[in-house]
Amino acid sequence: MNKIASRFGEIEYDPASVLTFPEGLIGFETLREFVVMPNEKEGPLFWIQSVEDPQVALVLTDPTNFFPNYIVAPEEGERDKIGIDADGQCFALVVVSVSQQRDITLNLAAPILFAPESNKAMQVILDNSEHQIQTPLPVVKDVAAVAE
Amino acid sequence: MLVLTRKVGEGIIIGDDIKLTIVEIKGGAIRIGIDAPRSKKIHRQEVYDRILEQNRAATSWSLDDLSALSDILPQSKGDK
Repeated sequence: MNKIASRFGEIEYDPASVLTFPEGLIGFETLREFVVMPNEKEGPLFWIQSVEDPQVALVLTDPTNFFPNYIVAPEEGERDKIGIDADGQCFALVVVSVSQQRDITLNLAAPILFAPESNKAMQVILDNSEHQIQTPLPVVKDVAAVAE
Repeated sequence: MLVLTRKVGEGIIIGDDIKLTIVEIKGGAIRIGIDAPRSKKIHRQEVYDRILEQNRAATSWSLDDLSALSDILPQSKGDK
């Protein structure tokens, strides 16, 4: 096990399970290795911590938890970068922003393509898409309130 | 910065594999055609900048935020 510093204290991780971003993330191009941190509580959110920069950690989620129809297919050049062929498995994850009021938004315009078999990932920009950089969560009606 | 003057239909070659062509100039806007390998990432500057800023802003959260949000968000559909 290796140890790294983070904003949240020291983290132990298995170097074999490191998630690699061959080109970094947008704005963090020099940071290539991240540790995937499970959330302590159940739920759709988890986070990744940069191995190289203790200050950089991002909350991620599988956007289909909130937007079931959200699908991103990697292009050929993107598959090459994350080390999979046309049949390779690839999931889209998105960066979660948390405001001071704890409202969250999802960056559906720049998803992270993740290939489990290679443990590689890359952030892509969906040009000309209707997806927003700050997409609020869909409004869920309060079932209890409606029942009253 | 290298500054070149080009007319409609003229182009610029960058390296071995990138070619820019001025397609049209109309009402203060310039349409530019780009031939480049698929592996080259090409983005509108302002879109790229906004995503960069959003990524940076997204690094300021706390474990308390995560814990509180996990209590109110619906459960994950299942592990992948």
